[in-house]
Amino acid sequence: MADPTSTPDDTPAVVLDNVSKSFGDHTVLDGVSLTIQRGSIAVMLGPSGTGKSVLLRCLVGLLQPDRGRVLVFGEDVAALDEKRAADRKRLFAIRRRFGMLFQDGALFDDMTVFDNVAFPMRLHTQLSEQAIHEKVSDRLARVGVAHAEQKFPSELSGGMRKRVAFARAIAIDPDIVLCDEPSSGLDPVMSATLDELILELHRTLGMTFIIISHDTAEARKVADTIGMLANGKLVTFGPAEQVFAENHPALEQFFTRATVGPIKVV
Amino acid sequence: MQSITQLVTHQVRQGADFVRFIGLALRIQFTRLPPRDVLVTQLVDAGWGSLALLTVLTLFAGLNLSVQSYGSFERFGGQDLLGMFAGVGGVRELYPVMAAVVCGARIGANLAASLANMRISEQIEALEVMAVDPVHYLVAPRLWAVTLALPLLCGYADVIGLAASYAGAVWQLGLDPGSFISQVQDAVRLADIGTGLLKGLIMGWLVAVISCFHGYTVAKRDGAEGVGIATNLAIVHGAVMCIVVNLILSWLIYG
Repeated sequence: MADPTSTPDDTPAVVLDNVSKSFGDHTVLDGVSLTIQRGSIAVMLGPSGTGKSVLLRCLVGLLQPDRGRVLVFGEDVAALDEKRAADRKRLFAIRRRFGMLFQDGALFDDMTVFDNVAFPMRLHTQLSEQAIHEKVSDRLARVGVAHAEQKFPSELSGGMRKRVAFARAIAIDPDIVLCDEPSSGLDPVMSATLDELILELHRTLGMTFIIISHDTAEARKVADTIGMLANGKLVTFGPAEQVFAENHPALEQFFTRATVGPIKVV
Repeated sequence: MQSITQLVTHQVRQGADFVRFIGLALRIQFTRLPPRDVLVTQLVDAGWGSLALLTVLTLFAGLNLSVQSYGSFERFGGQDLLGMFAGVGGVRELYPVMAAVVCGARIGANLAASLANMRISEQIEALEVMAVDPVHYLVAPRLWAVTLALPLLCGYADVIGLAASYAGAVWQLGLDPGSFISQVQDAVRLADIGTGLLKGLIMGWLVAVISCFHGYTVAKRDGAEGVGIATNLAIVHGAVMCIVVNLILSWLIYG
């Protein structure tokens, strides 16, 4: 089996091939296929409850799709069974290439902000404490929370928690950063700052970003690839200019905030 | 009828999940060393954090054991047997069960609530995404901590309880101190103390695994209510299990 850390540069970061996922009778993803190239910023739009977060969880093997393949740097995550030791090792090797910003931050309550961001560094790198300190300070400064280093998550506002969580997601320079609603809970200025940071990390470190969002302004600003999920199906996906030019009715409804259109309000 | 069937199905499924969880916990606990920093934190919380509560309770229980039993022994002139009764009854049964049930409830509630809260706030998922095995990182150190702490707490309860019984018998009821001490020495064998500690060890592991199971298996959609239910179940199931296991162990050891 190929080592995921040595895949050729032209292998796409992520390929979903006819992926379906249901919970009971409710089909959340229905035959979704897409390809996200390395070093791109893909924004997945769509109304709530259409499976965007489920899609992210399938990418890191937190959820197993009922059908289809989930290729991450060429390796099928969906085929790995976490209960089997060998598969688990492969899965963990793949997960180490990801950083994930959860919708509500998911910061560890019993750790300070500093320790939260340092956690993946201590776990997956051989950096000295001095180097970790410098890197954590840099990450926190980038997201504007350097002053909160010694605070606990319970002492932070929602927006600050989100920014610390983003600092943790990019702590060990992952190949792919998954962001679940990065701008929710942030004021417009901080939201724009986060967008700038995503663009800068993309430019300087070549990180691939897969962003789940409702924020159309964010999509316009950062995306080079846009997809839209509605009713479990991928209604449109492709380079941002092309998708904007096609102006799919669901996308138009989303961008114009219209209540009438293909997206049904349940 | 349908609801009864659903209830039975749910209970059977949960029982099967619990058995699977025990297998997983045993495998993780005994094949890999737990993270040291988490183990130390949990050990301090389970052991040191329970001392004040246990001290107060065993003080009163030890005193009460002397004062309440004195009347019964007095009826047939057997006051001198008080030391034997307080020693054997306390060390073999009362103090290990008290330590396990009371400290188990405190520790178990803490474990279940913290794990359940981590589940609903996606902290456990965050660990998984960071390629950390949450059972190894969260559950294993908690199992070790409580399994190690509870026998120590049982031993501590023995000391405080016996001291309280002595104080009650000698200072309040006027019994001869030498007689009380020699009664305790004659009646309580080293094996009895060992039995108490063994009970603590077994009940500690059970309390930990039950609490971790209820906390760890909460679903994100259960929300705050799920945390409450998990905590409640951890306390109730842990306490019932301690009483039952204590009875079985006493029966096996003392026949």
